[in-house]
Amino acid sequence: MALNKKALHGAIALAGISALALTACTGPSGGGSSSAPAAAGPIAYGTTDKVTSLDPAGSYDNGSFMVMNQIYSFLLNSKPGGADPVPDLAESSSFTTPSEYTVKLKSGLKWANGHTLDSKDVKFSFDRQVAINDPAGPASLLTNIESVTAPDATTVVFKLKNANDQTFSQILSSPAAPIVDDEVFPADKVLSDDEIIKANAFHGQYTIDSYKKNELVSFKAFADYQGVLGKPANDAATIKYYASPTNLKLEIQQGAIDVAFRSLSATDIDDLRKDSKVKVLTGPGGEIRYITFNFDTMPYGTKAAGADPAKALAVRQAVANLVDRQAIADQVYKGTYLPLYSNVPSGFLGANESFKDAYGDAGKPSLDKAKKVLADAGITEPVALNLQYNPDHYGGSSGDEYAMVKEQLEKSGLFTVNLQSTEWVTYSKASRADEYPLFQFGWFPDFSDADNYLTPFFPEGGFLKNHYNNATVNELISKQLTDADKTSRESAIKDVQNALAKDISTLPLLQGAQVAVVGSGVNGVDKTLDPSFKFRLGVISK
Amino acid sequence: MTTLIEVPEAEPGIVAPKSKSKAGGGLGRYIVIRFFLIIPTVFILVTLVFFLMRVIGDPITASQGGRLPPDVLAQRIQDAGYDRPILIQYFEYIGQLLTGNFGTTITDRRPVVEVLTTFGAATLELSINALIVALLVGIPFGLIAAQHRDKTPDALLRFFAILCYATPVFFSGLLLKLTFSVWLGWFPVAGRASTRTELTMSGLAAPSGIYWLDALRSGNFTALVDIASHAVLPALALGLLTAGVFLRLVRTNVIGTLGKDYVEAGRSRGVSEFRLVTKHAYKPALIPIITVMGLQIALMLGGAILTETTFEWKGLGYQLVQYLNARDFVAVQGIVVLLAIIVAVTNFIVDIIAALIDPRVRY
Repeated sequence: MALNKKALHGAIALAGISALALTACTGPSGGGSSSAPAAAGPIAYGTTDKVTSLDPAGSYDNGSFMVMNQIYSFLLNSKPGGADPVPDLAESSSFTTPSEYTVKLKSGLKWANGHTLDSKDVKFSFDRQVAINDPAGPASLLTNIESVTAPDATTVVFKLKNANDQTFSQILSSPAAPIVDDEVFPADKVLSDDEIIKANAFHGQYTIDSYKKNELVSFKAFADYQGVLGKPANDAATIKYYASPTNLKLEIQQGAIDVAFRSLSATDIDDLRKDSKVKVLTGPGGEIRYITFNFDTMPYGTKAAGADPAKALAVRQAVANLVDRQAIADQVYKGTYLPLYSNVPSGFLGANESFKDAYGDAGKPSLDKAKKVLADAGITEPVALNLQYNPDHYGGSSGDEYAMVKEQLEKSGLFTVNLQSTEWVTYSKASRADEYPLFQFGWFPDFSDADNYLTPFFPEGGFLKNHYNNATVNELISKQLTDADKTSRESAIKDVQNALAKDISTLPLLQGAQVAVVGSGVNGVDKTLDPSFKFRLGVISK
Repeated sequence: MTTLIEVPEAEPGIVAPKSKSKAGGGLGRYIVIRFFLIIPTVFILVTLVFFLMRVIGDPITASQGGRLPPDVLAQRIQDAGYDRPILIQYFEYIGQLLTGNFGTTITDRRPVVEVLTTFGAATLELSINALIVALLVGIPFGLIAAQHRDKTPDALLRFFAILCYATPVFFSGLLLKLTFSVWLGWFPVAGRASTRTELTMSGLAAPSGIYWLDALRSGNFTALVDIASHAVLPALALGLLTAGVFLRLVRTNVIGTLGKDYVEAGRSRGVSEFRLVTKHAYKPALIPIITVMGLQIALMLGGAILTETTFEWKGLGYQLVQYLNARDFVAVQGIVVLLAIIVAVTNFIVDIIAALIDPRVRY
C-alpha cells in the first residue's frame, strides 16, 4: 500500500513536471508561432471554405471546386490570368453544327492510377452528372445538353437542345464538368472522398497525398498531367481549413501558412494591409450584391395599394439616384468590394456602367434627381419602404451595409425605411413568395460569362420570381446567348444592361474583389486571381 | 450548467460493505434502476433535438435557396425526402438509431458514426488535458487555501476560484490566445498541431487519434513538443473552469476534516499544520471530487464546444458548431446524441461509485 501511495505521488509529480517541462520547451520556435514566413516545404494554403464532396456530381460550392481544380482536368479550361476557355484535355473544340459541339481529345491520356483517359470517361462524366442530379450538385448547369456521344476514343459530340449556346465552352470548364474515371466512379451515385482517394482517380496538376476532410489536404505534383496548366511551380502543397477568419488571419501573420484565401473579414484585411510581414493581393471578383424590387408588392406595385406602374418606377429610380455605392464599399467593406453600376460586373464581355450613366451624379448620389423623379410622378409625401436583408448568409457586414442604405435613403427626406432581417431559410423562401417588397440578394457566378448575370435573373423574373418581365429584355438576352459573332454579342449585352437600367428589376450595389494574403517570399498568387475565379495552387512558389 | 457546489465532506471511515448483506442487494437494484433511467433520458433528448433541429428549416433551402428557382428547389427538397410528414421522418430516424445508424451528414456526406469516431478522440484528448490542469491547479491550491483559512492566501485563492468558474470559456480562451499567442508569441494560435506534425500523424499506422499518445508510441518527441505547445492554451482555458470548482471543494472538505477528532488528536501530538493538511486531511477531501468530477463532465463538454471553436481544436465540439452553422441537422443530432450518452453513462458510473463509497445513497 505504501508503495502504491509513493507511486501515486511520483506519478502526479512526474505529470506536473512533464507538463511544465513541455510548456517550457515550447517557445516561438517550438510552437511554430514565429512571425517568420513558413519554412520551405509544401505550399501551405489556408481557407475557411469547406469541402462538401470531391465527387463533381455531389458538390456545387467554392470549397469543393477549389480542390477539384487541382486534381481533375476539364475538356476546356482557362490559363491563369484569363477566363477564356482553351483546350485542356481537348486538343480542339468547336460547333460542328449549330446544335452539335465536338471535342477532340489529346491521345495517350492516363489517370494517376494507370487507367486510360478517353472519350468514354468524358461521356460517362456528363451522363452521370445528369443521371445523379444530386440536390447538392451542379447538374442544373447541364440542362442544355440533349445527349453526349463518343464515336471514337478521342472524339466527343455534345448535342444541344438550344443551338449556338455561346456559354457552352464556359459550361465545359464549370463545376459540372470535371472529367472522372469511369472505372472508379459509379454511374448512379456519388462516390465518397475516401474511395476517390483510395482509387487514386486523379488527372490534374496534383494528386492527393493525404486527406483529412476539412482539416488538412496534402497534394503532390502529378508527373503525367498533360493539361493546359502545365507543370506546377511547386512539388507539393497543403490546404488547411479554418472555422474562424480571425484564426486564419493570425496564422498568416505568424507564418504558419503561406497563403490565406477566402474569407477574411473586411476589417481583418484592412488590418493586414498595415502589416509589413504580409502582402494583400486583390483580383477581379465575380460576386455581386444587389437590391431586388418585387414588382407586385413594392410601393405602388401592381398588387400594392394605389397600384401605379409609373409611380413604382419613380420610386425605383429615386432609390437608384440616392444610393452611394462608393461610401458602402469604402466604409463597410474597406475596399474589399467595389461599386457596381450595372447588372453585369466589370471584367465581363460587354459590361458597361448603365446605372452610372442613368442615375445619380457620375456615380455619386443626386438628391435633386431623386426629388425630381418623384415629383414628376406625383409623389409628394415620403415613401415608406420595407427593406429586408439577411444577416447569416451574406456575411456579418450585411447589417452595416443595409444600415447605410437606410441612412442614405432617409437622409434625403424622400423615404422612410423599415429595415428588417430574417434568418436565411425563411428569408430564402419568403423573398420569392412575394413577402418582401425590397430585399437583399447576392450572386456568385457559376461560370465566367456575362450571361450568368442575365439569364438566371431576368426572363420572367428568373429565379428571383419578382414579377419582372420585359419582352425586349428577354429577346436581347436570348440574342446574346446564341450570337456566335463576338462583337454583335457584346453589343447585345450592352443593350440588355441599358434596358435593365431603365426598368430596375434589381439595383446593383457592389462587386466583390478576390482577396488573397500572402507571406513574404511567396510568389505567383497574383497570376491566379483572375476572372475565371479558379484558384490554382500550381502557380505558387517560394 | 451545474452550480458551484460545496458538497458535505465524506466520512473517512465509510467503505463499501464486503459481505452479501441487505445493503448489497440494494446496490444491485440501485444499479439496475440507474441503468434503465439512462434510456428515457437519452430518448427524451433525441426527441427534443430532432424537433428543435427541424425548426431551423430544411438543409436544401439552406444551401441552395439563394440560387435556384422555387420550383426546382421544391423538387430537390422532395427528392431528398424533407417534404414528408415530420413524424414519419422522426420514426425513421429513431429506427435508424436503434440499428446503430446515425445517418449521413448532409453538408459533407460523411457517416455520422465516422464523424464521432474521427473527432471524438480529439475531444477526449482535450478533456484529459483539461482534467490534468484542473487537478494540478485545483487540488494544491485548495489545500493551500484550507491551510491558510481566512488569511490573505485563502482570500486570494477563493477569488481566483470564483474568477475561474465565472469567466466564460470563450472569453478566457480569447484572453489566453491574445496574451500568449498574439502578443508574446509563446504558443501557436490554433489547431492541435502544426501542419508538418499533422501530416506525420496521418502517416502513422493505426493511430489512436490522441495525438500525444500517438507521438509517444511512435517515439517522435519533436512532434510531441509541437503537440504539447498546441495543447497548453486550450487545456488551460477549459481546465481552469473546472479547477475553480475543485479548489473550492478541496478547501471546504479539508477545512471540515481538519476539525475532526482524529486530526485534533494529531494536532495535540504536535504534528505540524502542513503535515496535517497534506498527510491526514487531503485524502478524505478527495472522495467528493470523484462524485463532482462526474457532474463536471457535462460542464466540460459544454466548455469543450467553446474551447474547440476558439482554438480550432478539431474535435466534436468544433464539428458541432460547424454543422450547426451549416444547418446540418443529421450531423448535429448525431453529435448531441453521443454527448448525451456520454453524460448519461458518466453519471451512471459516478452514481455507482458514490453508492459503493456511501451505501446511504442506495436508498
